[in-house]
Amino acid sequence: MPETPNPEAVALFALVANRYGGRLTTEQLDEIKKMVEGQVEMARALRAVRLTNADEPFQPFAAYRSDTTPDRSALASPLENERLGSKGDPLP
Amino acid sequence: MSSDLLFKPVRELAALVRARQLSPVALTELCLDRLERFGPKYNAVVTITRERALSQARRAEGEIAAGRYRGPLHGIPYGAKDLLATVGTPTTWGAAPHREQRFDFDATVILKLEEAGAVLCAKLAMIELAGGMGYRQPTASFTGPCINPWDTDAWTGGSSSGSGAAVAAGLVPFAIGSETWGSILSPAGYCGLAGLRPTYGRVSRRGAMALCWTLDKLGPLALTADDCGLVLEAIAGADPADPTASERPYRYEVADRRGFRFGVIPDVTDGCEEPVIASFRRSLDDLGKIGTVEEVLLPDLPYEQITRTILQVEAISAFEDLIESGRIAELTAPEDRFTPYAREAILAHDYLKAVRLRGVMAREIDRVISRFDALVAPGRINEAPRLGQEFRSAIRATAKDVMGAVGNGAGLPAVCVPNGVGARGLPTSLQFMGRAWEENRVLAAARAYQSLTDWHTRHPKVD
Repeated sequence: MPETPNPEAVALFALVANRYGGRLTTEQLDEIKKMVEGQVEMARALRAVRLTNADEPFQPFAAYRSDTTPDRSALASPLENERLGSKGDPLP
Repeated sequence: MSSDLLFKPVRELAALVRARQLSPVALTELCLDRLERFGPKYNAVVTITRERALSQARRAEGEIAAGRYRGPLHGIPYGAKDLLATVGTPTTWGAAPHREQRFDFDATVILKLEEAGAVLCAKLAMIELAGGMGYRQPTASFTGPCINPWDTDAWTGGSSSGSGAAVAAGLVPFAIGSETWGSILSPAGYCGLAGLRPTYGRVSRRGAMALCWTLDKLGPLALTADDCGLVLEAIAGADPADPTASERPYRYEVADRRGFRFGVIPDVTDGCEEPVIASFRRSLDDLGKIGTVEEVLLPDLPYEQITRTILQVEAISAFEDLIESGRIAELTAPEDRFTPYAREAILAHDYLKAVRLRGVMAREIDRVISRFDALVAPGRINEAPRLGQEFRSAIRATAKDVMGAVGNGAGLPAVCVPNGVGARGLPTSLQFMGRAWEENRVLAAARAYQSLTDWHTRHPKVD
C-alpha cells in the first residue's frame, strides 16, 4: 500500500508549486516534492527538542548608530528613494 | 628548474628563497607554466594572473635582495578560489551567470597575502556558488568537473575543487579555499593534502562570495599542516569591513609537543568505506604514540538538522536575486537549477529553532571538547568519488557527518591530513577538530601526526 502523504509536506509543496510551478518541469516538481518531504522530517527533528524561554537565537545583533553625524539636508538613501518613488509620497 | 620544487612544503621553499638560492621570479614562472600546461587537464584553473604574478614576484625578489624579507610567504606563489574578489580579473564564483563578473577591489585575504609578499598566480576553479544550490555530482561548474591528480577518473571533491587539484598536482605550493560545510576538508581529503578550516571569524570574509553569512570560512590548502599554519598567520585578523572578523590576535606557534588528549565519537566511522575505517584505526594507533585516545559521547542533539537548516535558508537568501529571476536555470548542474525552490518551503519558525539550537550545540560541544586537544575522525567517509558518480552528502542528508555539522555549525577549527589510501589507491584522510580559536592546538596535533607518518610526502604523477 502506498504511504499516506504527510499533510504538512503536501501543503508546503503546494506553496512551492503555486509560486514556481510555471518555470519547473514535472520531473523537477517530483524531485522538489521529495525534498520538501525531507525538509519536513528535518523540521520534525528540530521541533522535538525542548528549549527554554532563555534560549535565544545564537547570532549577534546590535543596535546601529553611524559614527558620523548624518547630514539632514542630504537625500534619502537609494532604497528609501525607491520606496518613496513607488508610492509617490513626498519626503517628510 | 625542476618541478620537484613544487612538491616541497612552503617552509622549505621559504628557506631557499630567503637564502637567495631560489628566485621568486623563477619559481613563479615555473608555477605559471605548470598552471598553463596542466590546469586544463584537471579543469583546475579559471584565470591565470600572469602579469600580476610576475610583477609581485619581481617586487619580492627586489625586496629580498635589498634585505627586506617579509616572512615565510615572501615570494611564494599561490592560487585563490575564484570566489575571492580581485582587481583586473573576473571573479566568476564558478557559475555561468557570473562568468563576466568583475570587482574593483581585492578581497581582504588577497590584500593580506600581498602584504606578506605572496604571489597570486591563478584564480582556481570551484563548484558553482560554492555548492550551495544542492549539487549531487562533480559536473557542477562552468569550467567542468575538477579532476583529481591522483586518478583522472576521480573527482577532487568540492567546492574548493581547483584549490585541491592545483596544490596536489604541484601547480602552486598553496591555495586558498572556503568552507561552509566541507568545502576545504573535502578537496584536501580527496587530494591527499592538508586543509585548514579556521574558526569562524578568524579570517575576514570581505570580498568573498557570501553563501551563508554565519557559516562561511576562508582557509588554506597546502602540502602539510605546518604550511597551513604559516598561511593562516598571514590571513588571520580583524577587518573593519567584516564585523565578524575577530579582534583576537593569531600567531602561529610551531613548538613541537606530545602528550595530546584526543577524543573519538564512538560511531564516527558509521557509513565509512572499509579502507577508510582501516586507515582511521591505524591512525588511532599512531596517535596513541603522541597522546591518549578516549571515547567521548556527544549530547543527543539534531546536529546535522541544525546546520543543514541554517545553511539551506541562508543560501537561498544570499542568492535570492538569482533564484527569483529564474537565472539559476543557467547553472551547470541540472539539480542546481531547481533544488533551491524546495527550500522556500522551510518555515521561519523552524529556521529560528535551528538558530536557537545552534547556541545549545555550541555550548554543549565546547563543554565536551574542552577536555581534549582535539576530536579526531576520518576526514571523509570515502575515497574520492568517480567523475560520473552521484556522491553522498550530509548537506543533502544522504550521508552522516556529525563532525562537519558540529564543526561548521559551531564555527570550530579543523585540520585534515592524509592518513592512507583507499581501495582504488586514492588518499584517505584524518581530521582534528578543536575548540574555537585553538587552531594552534589542532595544527600541533596534525604536525605531530605527520612527523610519524609519510603519507604527505607521496604525490601523484603529473605529466
